[in-house]
Amino acid sequence: MPILNSVYRHREFQDVATLGGYERAGGWNGLKATLEMTPDDALYAFHRSGLRGRGGAGFPMGRKASFLPKDSGKQTYVVCNADESEPGTFKDREIIEKNPFQLIEGVAIASYAVGCERAYIYIRGEYGKQTEVLAGAITACRESGRLGPDAFGPGVPFDITLYRGAGAYICGEETALLESLEGKRGQPRLKPPFPAVAGLYGSPTLINNVETLAALPPIMHRGADWYAALGPEKSPGTKVFSVSGHVLNPGNFEIVMGETTLRELIFDMAGGLREGREMKACWPGGSSVPILTKDHLDVAIDYESLNEVGTFLGSGGCIVMDDSGCIVRASWRLAHFYRHESCGKCTPCREGTGWLEKILGRMVHGDGRMEDIEMLESLFGRISGRTLCALADGAVAPVQSALEYFRDDFVAAIENGGCPVPEPMGVIGG
Amino acid sequence: MTVHEIQEFLAPIRHEFPDSRSLILPALRFAQEERGWLPPETMAVVAEATGYSQAYVESVASFYDRFYMEPVGSRVISVCTTLSCMLRGSDELLAHIGDRLGTGGEGTTDDGRFTLQRAECLGACDRAPCLQIDSGDQLGPLTHDDADALLDELRTRDVPSRYDR
Repeated sequence: MPILNSVYRHREFQDVATLGGYERAGGWNGLKATLEMTPDDALYAFHRSGLRGRGGAGFPMGRKASFLPKDSGKQTYVVCNADESEPGTFKDREIIEKNPFQLIEGVAIASYAVGCERAYIYIRGEYGKQTEVLAGAITACRESGRLGPDAFGPGVPFDITLYRGAGAYICGEETALLESLEGKRGQPRLKPPFPAVAGLYGSPTLINNVETLAALPPIMHRGADWYAALGPEKSPGTKVFSVSGHVLNPGNFEIVMGETTLRELIFDMAGGLREGREMKACWPGGSSVPILTKDHLDVAIDYESLNEVGTFLGSGGCIVMDDSGCIVRASWRLAHFYRHESCGKCTPCREGTGWLEKILGRMVHGDGRMEDIEMLESLFGRISGRTLCALADGAVAPVQSALEYFRDDFVAAIENGGCPVPEPMGVIGG
Repeated sequence: MTVHEIQEFLAPIRHEFPDSRSLILPALRFAQEERGWLPPETMAVVAEATGYSQAYVESVASFYDRFYMEPVGSRVISVCTTLSCMLRGSDELLAHIGDRLGTGGEGTTDDGRFTLQRAECLGACDRAPCLQIDSGDQLGPLTHDDADALLDELRTRDVPSRYDR
């Protein structure tokens, strides 16, 4: 199977969460190679690698980095988005816990390329243990001189500040994250200007996800061409998929893009379903994307192939539900999530997510009316695409697609006076 | 918690931020450790220590789920109930713990030792159903027996939380 542990170096080598262990596993070779280049050559290598943002949007990382003006006369910042909060996504947590130095090395590489002297890692408030591990790794780097006044050579300083959030999904949205890091309520900004031009403290800012930055050390060590040759031309490289829900072996799987099908990911790697069960639905890229059904299991996993079947690769958080689950109830639960996490800035999202939850809730609890289906459908277009950030689109996509694929289930919930309470899968072996 | 204590805590990190506003979140977290939540008088102290108005500090704090504007128990138990955990029985786990604590769902026990709350995705769907004590490691997958054992351990081990909230 096309597994390649590139950001998950800890699965190939022992003790990489220690400074010595990371060195023995080939750590810092990427930064070393980078420091021998000019910053522009490093940027060009990011670009040639074809690496795309692993947080959800999939924007080419090298292009994003190239948008930072070089003559602004201001400080330049690199910000690492470690606010991993997309439902079904737990890939960054494993990097931070098990392979923290590779993340630090990646942040350093990006910082050298854009001329940043102080980078920030914004980590979600709930990741207390992970904060402790990362803080320890940063301290170890300072003590060994890998961070500090001479990090990039004599007299060339670089350091990292770890910053904790305090519980807000929206802070994973890049401009909301910057607001939070500036000590404000985490509400998204109007774009443009984009963070590359006016980001943190009004300065040029490169903001990337944990997995994106952790991909840089192998790219810079083994070469952009090596990375670009992995997988399809437009979706090169490796990507970690978090598989959860009704699978027997939930976990993270780093695979080469385009060489694995959804069926292989769910049934071979994640252990498949319980005996006698079929897949009902899957949210393949976190919960903010259109769902897929058992008819889509043979799709290859890469950005383009998933777009062709009407969904997105997103964050790579693949939630699987078997035919014991109820799609109406699942949609209601997600609607609750988005209603709870809406920051309230844009009316279509603040009000619309509330209505989504309310209407789905009455379907689940037996108070649904046939006209509720039309009302749901009329809501989608009044929420999607009408807000500052993508949270609202993410709230609509899973519900709208569920209604498209499983309209009969919604009708049945209304006709039957609610959804059955499904037997939970429970703890395997428990 | 005094203004001086907060300022002492902030002193070593102050130089890392070009704008002192960034110190508000770290100050709030530090201040919350004392009583577990942020009463108005604590907000006032944070405001004075950071140089921003109390109204502003409260507006920031109230945005975030893990800054508590109401009293909470000594330990906050957050049960994840988002989709992956729901599919594996999080609602039943939450109800079970509520029964054991006598809160009958979300709420704080009469003796003030525990607050039970539902949480949105904790980033540990591989451990579903999972929960978190304060902001400690995500624990799971948990059977109801596991949850009972955990509660027993928390009741007998009257030590401060290993992690701040």
